[in-house]
Order: sequence, then C-alpha cells, then structure tokens
Amino acid sequence: MLKNYLMVALRNLLKHKLYSAINVTGLAVGLATCVLILLFVRNETSYDRFFTDNDRIYQVAFKAQLPGRQVDHFAASMLPLAASMKVGLPEVEMTARVIQNSVVIKQGGESFSETARAVDPDFFRIFDFTFLRGDRMTALDDPNSIVLTESMARKYFKDQDPLGQTLDIDGSAPAKVTGVIPDMPSNTHFDLEIIRPYAAVAQAMRGIETNWGAVCCETYVRLKPGVDGKALSDRMPAWFKTTAPTLNSPTGNVVLGEIFTPRLRNLKDIHTDPVMTSMRPATSYAEIITFAAVAALVLAIASINFMNLATARATQRAREVSVRKVVGASRSQIIMQFIGESLLLTVIGLVLSIALVELALPAYSAFLDKKLSFNLFTDPLLGPALLGLALVVGVAGGAYPAFFLSGFNPARVLKGASSGVGGGSGRLRMALVVVQFAISISLMVATSVVYGQLLYAQNKNLGFEKENTLVLRGFPRSVEQARQQTLVEALAKLDGVVAAAGSSSTPGDGSENNTNVRLPGANPDQMLVLRQGGVDWDFVKALGLQLVAGREFDRNRPADQLPPLADPAQVPAGDTAARTYAGAVMINEAAVKRLGFASNEDAIGKQFEVGADDDGTNKLTIIGVVADFHFRSVHDPIPPALFVINRDRFSDVLVRLKPGNVQKTLVEIERVWRDMFPNRPLNREFLDDRIQAQYVREAKTSQMFAAFSGLAILIACLGLFGLASFTAERRTKEIGLRKVLGASVMDIVRLLVWQFSKPVLVANLIAWPVAWYFMDQWLNGFSFRIDLNPLLFVSAGAVALLIAWATVGLHAARVAQAKPVTALRYE
Amino acid sequence: MLKLVDLVKAYRTEEVETTALNSVNIHVRDGEFVAIMGPSGCGKSSLLNIVGMLDTPSSGQYWFNGEEVSKYGERKLADIRKKNIGFIFQSFNLIDELTVFENVELALLYHDIPARERKERVKAALAKVNIGHRESHLPQQLSGGQQQRVAIARAVVAKPKMLLADEPTGNLDSANGDEVMRMLTELNAEGTTIVMVTHSMPHAQYATRIINLFDGQVVAENLRAA
Repeated sequence: MLKNYLMVALRNLLKHKLYSAINVTGLAVGLATCVLILLFVRNETSYDRFFTDNDRIYQVAFKAQLPGRQVDHFAASMLPLAASMKVGLPEVEMTARVIQNSVVIKQGGESFSETARAVDPDFFRIFDFTFLRGDRMTALDDPNSIVLTESMARKYFKDQDPLGQTLDIDGSAPAKVTGVIPDMPSNTHFDLEIIRPYAAVAQAMRGIETNWGAVCCETYVRLKPGVDGKALSDRMPAWFKTTAPTLNSPTGNVVLGEIFTPRLRNLKDIHTDPVMTSMRPATSYAEIITFAAVAALVLAIASINFMNLATARATQRAREVSVRKVVGASRSQIIMQFIGESLLLTVIGLVLSIALVELALPAYSAFLDKKLSFNLFTDPLLGPALLGLALVVGVAGGAYPAFFLSGFNPARVLKGASSGVGGGSGRLRMALVVVQFAISISLMVATSVVYGQLLYAQNKNLGFEKENTLVLRGFPRSVEQARQQTLVEALAKLDGVVAAAGSSSTPGDGSENNTNVRLPGANPDQMLVLRQGGVDWDFVKALGLQLVAGREFDRNRPADQLPPLADPAQVPAGDTAARTYAGAVMINEAAVKRLGFASNEDAIGKQFEVGADDDGTNKLTIIGVVADFHFRSVHDPIPPALFVINRDRFSDVLVRLKPGNVQKTLVEIERVWRDMFPNRPLNREFLDDRIQAQYVREAKTSQMFAAFSGLAILIACLGLFGLASFTAERRTKEIGLRKVLGASVMDIVRLLVWQFSKPVLVANLIAWPVAWYFMDQWLNGFSFRIDLNPLLFVSAGAVALLIAWATVGLHAARVAQAKPVTALRYE
Repeated sequence: MLKLVDLVKAYRTEEVETTALNSVNIHVRDGEFVAIMGPSGCGKSSLLNIVGMLDTPSSGQYWFNGEEVSKYGERKLADIRKKNIGFIFQSFNLIDELTVFENVELALLYHDIPARERKERVKAALAKVNIGHRESHLPQQLSGGQQQRVAIARAVVAKPKMLLADEPTGNLDSANGDEVMRMLTELNAEGTTIVMVTHSMPHAQYATRIINLFDGQVVAENLRAA
C-alpha cells in the first residue's frame, strides 16, 4: 500500500512539473528561511548556558530613575556592592566584580592599547572557563598574574608557551601569564581578552572603592544551592535601600536607594535583556520572538501555497480518489494518503532546504558575526528538529487538501469525467491568497518602517558636527595638566585643525557623570540632577555645537574657569567659605527647561551650585546655552546637562579637522602625539564612525528583516503564479470563446489580472491596520521617531499589486495569445 | 442478494426537489444478471449508486445479503462495498498515473492481501480479460476496449459477489462492446451477480432480466430465458 501511495505521489509530482516545482521551491525556500531564522534564534537563546552553575549565577542590574530623567536600565553597579551583598545576604555564596580598563602593553619595543578586565579572585571559581593552560582555581591569586585568551597569547608570544611569560602593562610591575583560555565563543555576553586580578587596579580604584554613587563595574554573584534567585531579586530593592547610604553634599542629599533599584538577572537571561553598558550587544526577547514569528509566517505562506495548489488541482485527482473509494478505501485511508503526499513533498523541500542552508550559512554567519553551526552529524537535536518541522509543515499544509480531496462523492465524479468537482472552494483559495498577501504586505511595511527609523537615526541632526571630528581616546588621566594643555594647544595650531579641546566624555562613548544641582533658595532635599561635563575652552567649536544664547567659554576671562581646589592643609574643617569656588557654566536647552528658566536668554546670568571635588561647593554662573545634542543614540532622550571648564577630568581630546587634506592632518596629529607620548600608542577614532557603529546592529537587523520579508513575498508570488496558471488552464475554453466573440489579448490579460488583483487589494485592508498598530507600538519605544506615513502603506500595497500583476500578467498574456481554436478543441 | 423496498431518492436544491427514484421495489437474487434500462434521467444511475452503496436513499429499505444497509454510515458501507461489490464504468475510470497492473492491483490493496498473492491474482485477472501482455502499460497507451477490459479485471480481481456495470459498453465500438458483454456473461456464468445499466437493447439481451425505469419508477420487468 505504501509503495502504491509513494508511486502515485512521485508520478503525480513528475507529471505536473510546474505545480511540483512551485511547491517544492516554495517549501524549500520557506524551510531554509525558517531554519536560518531558527539557527539565529537558537544561538540568541543559548547564551552562557555552557557555564556549569548557570542556574545559580546572577548579575546585578539596576534601574535608575534620576529626577527629571527617563528610567535607565544598566548592568553596571557600584564597587562596594559585592562585599555588602556577601555580608548582608546570606544566600550569596560568592561574588565577583568585573572592571573594564584601558591598558598599554609594551612588547618588543612596540606599544599596544588594549581593553583589559580586572576581576575579583572568585571570578574563575564562579565561571568555569576552560583553561587551556594554567589552573583556573588559582590563576588570579597573585596580584601580578594575568590570564589571556588564545588570540591574545598568540599576539604577544607567537608560538612560545605563554605560561610563565611576562607582559609590561602600563609600566607597572611585570604581569605573569598564569592562564590561557579559549577566545570567547559567540554565545556569551562576556567580551574578555585580558583578565587581571582586582589588585592590579585597586590603586586606581581607591577613590571610588567605597563610593555608592559611582557606577563603574559589573557585579556577579553565585547563590548557594537551592536558593530562589527570583525571590532574592524581589528582596533586593528593600535591602539596597537600607544598605546604600544617602550621599550628603553641600548642594543637597542624594538618596541612592530611591534612585537605584537593583535586581538579579540570571546568567542565561543577560543576553536577552538589553540594558545599557553591556559588554556585547544584547538582543531583546521581543526581537527574538519577532524573528521567530517571521519564520512561522514564511512557513505559513509556503504551506498556503501547497494547500491552494493541491485543492485547485483537485479535479485531476478526483477520479483517483473516487476509484480508490469504490474499490474499498475508507476516507481516513485517503486522508492519510494525501497527508503522506504532502509529507513527501515537504521532505523533498526539506532536503533542498538543507542544501540552501548549507550554501547560505557561511555568508549568513559572517553577516551576523556569529559561529552558527548546522551539522546533522554532530548535532543530535538537529535531525529530529528538522524532521519535526517538516512534519508540522507537511501536516499543516496537507490536512486541508486531504480532507477536501477525500470528501469527493465517487458516484458523481465517476459518472462524468470530473463533474461535481469544482476544483475546490475558489473562495477559500482566494481567502488564503489574501492571507498570504496580507502577511507579505505587513512585512513589507514593517521592513520599510524599520529602515525608515534607522535612516532617520543615522541621519538625524545630532546637534554636533560628526564629520571630520576626531576623538583621541584613552588620554592618560595621570598625565599632568601642563602636558595635556600643551598637547591640545599643539594640536590646535596645526594647519588642518579647526579647533581642539579636551573633554571628560564625548558623544557615544557611553560614559556619564551626573551631579546634583541646587538653585538659590531651593529645598536641600529636592534632587535636581544634571549630566556634568568637564570641558575645555574650545569645546563648543571642537564639537561644532550651536550656541543659542549667551557666549562661549573665553580663555581671556580667567573667571570662566573654576579656581584650583583649596589646599586641605590650609583650610580648617568647617570653613565652607574657603571651599566655595566661583566659575562659569554652560548648559543645554534641556537643562534650561529642567532648571525652570523661562527661556534660553532668561537663563543667562543665573546662578546655581554643584558639589566640588573636595566636598566644597562650586557656585556657577550661566554664561551660555547650547542647542541640545545627542550624547547617546538618538533612541534615547537628551538629558539636561552642564559644562564647566575642568581640565583635571579630561579623558578624551576632540579635534575638529578642516575638510580636505584630512590624511595629511592625521599624519601631523600622529607626529605631535608621538613627540609628547612616545611610549603610548595613539588611539584615535572619527566621531562619525563611532556614531555609525551604534547602528551596525540595528542595520543588520533591518537587513535581515528585509531579506526574510523579500523571501516571504517571493514564496507568495510563486503560489500566485501557480494559481494563475491553474486558472488560465481551467478557463482555456472560456478564453477561447471570449476571443471568438472578439476579445483582444489585452482584454483577456485584464480579465485574469483583475481576478488576482482583488485578493491583493483586500489583503491591503487587513495588512494596513495590523502593520500600523504594530509599527506604531514599535516606534513608541524610541524617544525620537519617525511618523508613520500613510503613503508608505499605500506604496507597499502598490508594490504587492505590481508584483502580483507581473506574476500573473506574463502568464495570462501567453495564454491569451494562443489561437482560439486550440482552446476550443480542449476539454 | 439485494432487495429494495419502497426506495426513494430525492435531490433537494434550494428551491426545487427532484425525485430521482420513487418508491422502487426490486429484488435481485444471487447469480442473476439484471439489466436496467430507461431513457436519460429516469433514475438508472441513481439506482446503481445506491445499490453500489456510493449513495444512500432518502427513504425506503435496502437489504443486502440479509442486512438492512440504508441507514449505515460511510465507513460501514465502504467495508461492505469493499468485500462484496465490483464496479465497471462507462468511462473506465482508470488512474492515469498507474500502470495496467497497478490499476488492477489497487482493488486488492485495501484488502490486506500479501504482495505475492496480489500479484498472482492480478495476473490471473488480466489473463482472464486477455490483457496480460499489456500489464506494464499506462492507460493512455491502450485503446478504449483494452481500457475497459482492464477496468473489468479491476472489478473482478477482489472476487466480488456482485458486479455493477454502468453503461460498460457506452464508450466502445460494437466489436469491443460485444467482447465486454461476452466477458460479463462468462463472469455471471461463474456465479457473479451482475446489475448493469445500459441504453443498448442488444447488450441488455445478454441479461436474464430487464428492468425498465421511467421517471424514477419501475414500469416493466421482463424475465428472459437464461
């Protein structure tokens, strides 16, 4: 019996080549698309599961609600948190902090800038990284030890055994390599290359080691076995409120427990819970689910093709079904036969799709920058998963045709050739075409909106000059002020430089420093937090900011700069007057609003106070207002900010270049740097590259979305083509008669094209509101967003219609051109 | 073999009700060869469909082998049909995708018969209708007469007690038509009950009894000498 079914199925496939090709191609492309998406989804949801204790390992994340600011979520925490958790929360077994720092490694006369991470000794006890060399449990016991990834070890020691070798880091005591671990796999949230013990940075951290207001490290905890992490996480905010101190400053009290709300995120969830300050870009669950949904939709479109073509061509199988019934086949046997055929077709599609996936995988992996594996022989889950997928698609696509075909009345079918069989319900088929096109149009709209928002973000006026603006990074904070000043001045003098200025932070660098501000006469408990930037005289010019009121800092007015801090030895305790410093401040428009001034002009000349570095008070007079500019991605709102001349805090230097001979200027900058810092490599970056890099992931997501939407439309069109050719065939006689009665080729084409235009038009009516709703929701997640343009929806509909016309029209024209006599002889 | 008592078949559309069979009473005994005649639209095919259990009556009784089957569901009817009835159609109704052998074998596939036995029986059936030499051909490679012979082989291969033939010679020339009738007569002689619908009086003459239908009613029954 099975042989008979198989034979009939195969012969049918071979006999109706177009129909088979459409189905198999549609299924193969649909399954391949689905598999590629699912590989992505599997990778995204597999992060950090390879750590043995992943169930017990958590990272502390915070929600921060600064007064007057939107809520921020970030993974960073304060240095004293880990120790307090270990003492105050008995459920915590171990803790480890991770602190990122830039280092310069000297090796063989060359210097390299690297990003290192300093970690607490328990780090490698919590995370069981494989150690290729060295002992995991003791690797970081020595303060001068260092663990490298394989690539780093190769970079510095070539083919030599790295274990026991030393590296000169930042000119301090040589660090001895005590361990080598494999490079980070693509499915971990960690981005580690050089790992040192916390002791190596302890000196540099001394100032903030006990500061509960400085958010500067990641904190991981391993809970004792059996502890309910969720319950502990729920208790964290209350615990934090009683543990974190209130910061008292001359400008008011900052209740940290009210600003910061901690929670524990399980290691496995870190990658799917995007927050700020992640080591690697995270992917939200919503995004993963969206892609999984696209996979399901693409498969649904392919299945609908199968359903439609199978029922449309039912007349050709009617006699077979009837004869089978007459000779004793029960309906269930016939249903099984047709579901079997559907499965056979799906399996053929699956085999082809595996080939397609194999072909696409290298490019796809490279595009996603992930190591996606697709190996049926080494992955025991893959084979069953693929067969399961084929089973679901085969049964879903085959069930309706099977029920439909098995329902024929043999008496009627066998009496005539096929009377009583109308080729299935044409209305249902059209309804399914409507569904396919509604999905395709929605995906088209979604793709356009995602792209539109991306383009908007990439091209939005950020409020500063991103072109030709260079950032010299990792400017050594330890370097004395005089040398900083000399460097900035030397750079400013170069022919190709418009302006140069030091700065404590630059747009897109992810750092943020906030301070509490007190307006004269305000309640000390009122928290008025502004972002604070320590800048240089030419900051406004170097960044190309727009001055909207007042004036810029002026190096000819010494009073613009805050005076040096008072010598603690000279100032008696309690002498607040001696620790009060006057200076000038510039603010942005958001700060004008936040501070409650009537207008930008109104703010000029007004004063407020902020805390000084020695716990004294800076009394600042507003001299200028700059237009708002984006510190972070345009997706985030612009915080109110103040800028003061504070050369102690510079970490970066901004250099705005004259357009034109940029290469020559770069060489000169390099020379100036080398003259001043011969042992430190110049770490430079163009601001527009950095800004662009913020959108790389979004651009990739958009491209993936576009590609998968395109494939969905392709599959839907394949189905439409199949249906059109079926309809043309079925209406051959009618077409012939119409031609005899005087219809032109164009009339016939119009007739057929209109028949298929209707479902596409109806599909728009479904797709538009659905797409509008979802895309509006999506856009609402951005602080700065595009508006939904109805024209976009109409365009998507028009494109779908044009594609449908092209698909159907060509075929219709061929049919319409046939001689009427051929058509009339048919039947 | 079968007995129809006050059998009515009415087809209902939204507005019109058409009575195809109106209080039909027929009794066919085992081993009979009955021809049913009548003008187009008199209800011949409706009758054959009900007798063949491809359709159910609107009212009345249908006794088959002592069993009242008129109220049976599709599954049970399929089972009785499979075990007892063979069909021959005017338009042969062979499956284009299957060879001659496979078309005949199809009738055994739903009977749980081992492959070896199936093969023997198919070959015997094909030999009986003199088409064994064409067993690997596809239906479209055969003439009409040859196709109908394959259809007869398919109808008898499962050894049904009753054979229903719906204008089996309607699509054939006279020589082939006579050949088919000769085969049916042979089968009847071997004990198979045959109910045949036909328009052809000469072919009806092969039957032992002719039933005339008109407007859904039996108007005459002529018993012929065997």
